[in-house]
Amino acid sequence: MKEAGAIIGIAVFFVLFSFLSDRFLSLDNLTSTFTMAAELGIITVGMTVLMISGEFDLSVGSIFAVVPMIVAIMINHGVNDFLALLTGLVVGVGTGFLNGLITIKTEIPSFITTLGTMMFWRGILLAVTGGFPIILERNSVVLKYLGGEIAGGFRYSGLWFIVATVLFWILLERTAYGNWVFAVGGNVGAARALGIPVERVKITNFILSSFLAGIAGLTTFGRFKIVDPTLGTGMELEAIAASVIGGTLLSGGYGSIFGAFIGALMIGMVRSGLVLAGAPAYWYRAFIGVILVVAAVINARIRRKVAG
Amino acid sequence: MSELLVEMKGIVKNFGKVQALKGVDFSVGREEVVGLLGDNGAGKSTLIKILVGYYQPDEGEIYFEGKRVVFKSPWDSRRLGIETVYQDLALVNLMPVWRNFFLGRELKKKVAGIELLDVRKMKRLSMDYLKTVGIELRSPNETVAFLSGGERQAVAIARALYFGAKLLILDEPTAALSVGETRRVLELILETKRRGTSVVFITHNIYHVYEVADRLVILEKGEKIGDYRKDEVTPEEVMDIIASAAGVSRK
Repeated sequence: MKEAGAIIGIAVFFVLFSFLSDRFLSLDNLTSTFTMAAELGIITVGMTVLMISGEFDLSVGSIFAVVPMIVAIMINHGVNDFLALLTGLVVGVGTGFLNGLITIKTEIPSFITTLGTMMFWRGILLAVTGGFPIILERNSVVLKYLGGEIAGGFRYSGLWFIVATVLFWILLERTAYGNWVFAVGGNVGAARALGIPVERVKITNFILSSFLAGIAGLTTFGRFKIVDPTLGTGMELEAIAASVIGGTLLSGGYGSIFGAFIGALMIGMVRSGLVLAGAPAYWYRAFIGVILVVAAVINARIRRKVAG
Repeated sequence: MSELLVEMKGIVKNFGKVQALKGVDFSVGREEVVGLLGDNGAGKSTLIKILVGYYQPDEGEIYFEGKRVVFKSPWDSRRLGIETVYQDLALVNLMPVWRNFFLGRELKKKVAGIELLDVRKMKRLSMDYLKTVGIELRSPNETVAFLSGGERQAVAIARALYFGAKLLILDEPTAALSVGETRRVLELILETKRRGTSVVFITHNIYHVYEVADRLVILEKGEKIGDYRKDEVTPEEVMDIIASAAGVSRK
């Protein structure tokens, strides 16, 4: 099973943190942990599909801020909520399409393309806002359904995370398209020889990744009602880390959406668990770094067992 | 109905200043196994890539089942039943057998209006078919990476047969296989012929192809330098022809 390592890992952390802090198992902490995991996890799901097809998207952290920023500015200028949301999502799709188009047409590695667009969009954000956050000036029903609370601290972002996980699991494991995604990442020559539209699959996945990053950004925006132009910085690496923890290969052709779910959950859990255990917040990144490397090593072994 | 399945006439192909094929005639009969031999750079793979539509010829015509055809892409030739099994491009190693078997031609069923994979059916049909052509695998879920080289060739060939190939093109199918595995692949080629499918067998190894071929075609430097029924030549003679064309004399 592809996700065996991640499942064992998350179980160990769950038990460990439960012992280290009484509050870890409180409903309050569990729901807030899940919210954090969800906002990262929605990105991770898209990133995972893209990585399985053999590409990366480093610009998701920037898109995570660009989309809500557009929505915030439009709503503040009196534009209809739905129109603002629609515009934001269209931009999310467009940025993904641009990443894909540049990568496919110029044949440069997506690592470089999306490193470039990551910096480009971040620069635009800072230039447009002058570095200041944008605060939502009125209430928005639309945003409530993205990041607002449902009950008992559980938020819509958590619901969307679960929905995205289920939908993308079906897409990847139970549709012909999913079969193509694995083939394109696993052996692009074989995929092409069998008539699979390699370019179209990759560009579609860039779009999915960027679109989900936009949705994830909107859920965070719905929670805080404020967008900082530095929002989401570094999140692309956390999403890749979550994917890898969940068993996805950097080299493509292998991975799991369920693993991505667990990976994001683990990162969220470690973040809140360390704080509750009394560790200074700074330790969190160092810890994630260690987990990432350990996870990659374990997963490499699992993969050799199940997939040669 | 024409006697010939495929007929290529006067095929010329230039890559810049290099003339890769200098007016080659090549044909494959029905239920015939043709060995295509020649040194590296002789033009074997260019000829085949033209046949399947990967390249377009600069001159010459192609007839399939007696009708003139122009293949703009490998898609066009596949639709008519020409299947190619490339050495490294046949299967995706990280994917299980059943997914590979139906890759690009997945079986679907409608669930609540959405087209989903019919996983159970694909697993069953792939295993059943592999069994009928004499390949016993442990499980359809087995990842291709765990199969032996011979099993991989066999799965790729079986897949082509299952999808109704009329002509099967095999690119060096026995390269890098052990003796026992080569035997299994050669038997599968004969089985392919018995099922009414013609085969083009591209190889360096005259002994492998000699066992199963009905006819041997030899290319050298973009020209056809030999076209023999098997009973007209011995393997040693074929070796000599290839060697002397390449400017190496054999004792």
